[in-house]
Amino acid sequence: MPVGDVVRAEMVGNVLDVLAAPGRCVAAGEPLVLLESMKMEIPVSSEVGGVVAEIGVRVGDVVQEGDVLVVLR
Amino acid sequence: MDHDLPPVGSTAEIMLEVTHADTAPALGSGDVPVLATPRLLALAEQATVAAVHDALAPPLTSVGTRVELDHVHATPVGHKVVVRAVLVHTEGRTLQFEVTAEHPADRRLVGHGRISRVVVDRDRFLGRLG
Repeated sequence: MPVGDVVRAEMVGNVLDVLAAPGRCVAAGEPLVLLESMKMEIPVSSEVGGVVAEIGVRVGDVVQEGDVLVVLR
Repeated sequence: MDHDLPPVGSTAEIMLEVTHADTAPALGSGDVPVLATPRLLALAEQATVAAVHDALAPPLTSVGTRVELDHVHATPVGHKVVVRAVLVHTEGRTLQFEVTAEHPADRRLVGHGRISRVVVDRDRFLGRLG
């Protein structure tokens, strides 16, 4: 289980872009991953700021609801 | 009705190269010329039928009862889409399938969902409808 603030996919979709990079400091609300779902591009962000500890997806992945996208510490 | 249901894991794939006849304007489901959601649904149902076709000997057949489909990515005319159905659960006469659609070129997810069908005796089913 990941430790820290976990950002998960809220719906099934394609990973279009990964904007977060490990070790980078990100602010609350800053887009971390760009998903495509329901034919729309959906930026996914964290509700809190932190340092990117882990990225769980790559561009082109298909994510299911609940999949871990990014872990912050 | 006592019979053997198709085995869980039964599967089939349907491939379509999208033409204008498959688009939302052609089917009246929208005005953007990409693969229409009802066409994708029809492909998904077609895949479920194909998945259990060999396991259902006449007079048995199946009819659709419930669909749940997310259409997540658009497919333009000239592009291919592959729809796969897998029988994931059976209970009584009910067959539950998971369906997924993707672009074969890059494996991008186009759609996914669940479809239920029930096994019926074709003649008795039609007879009940008068």
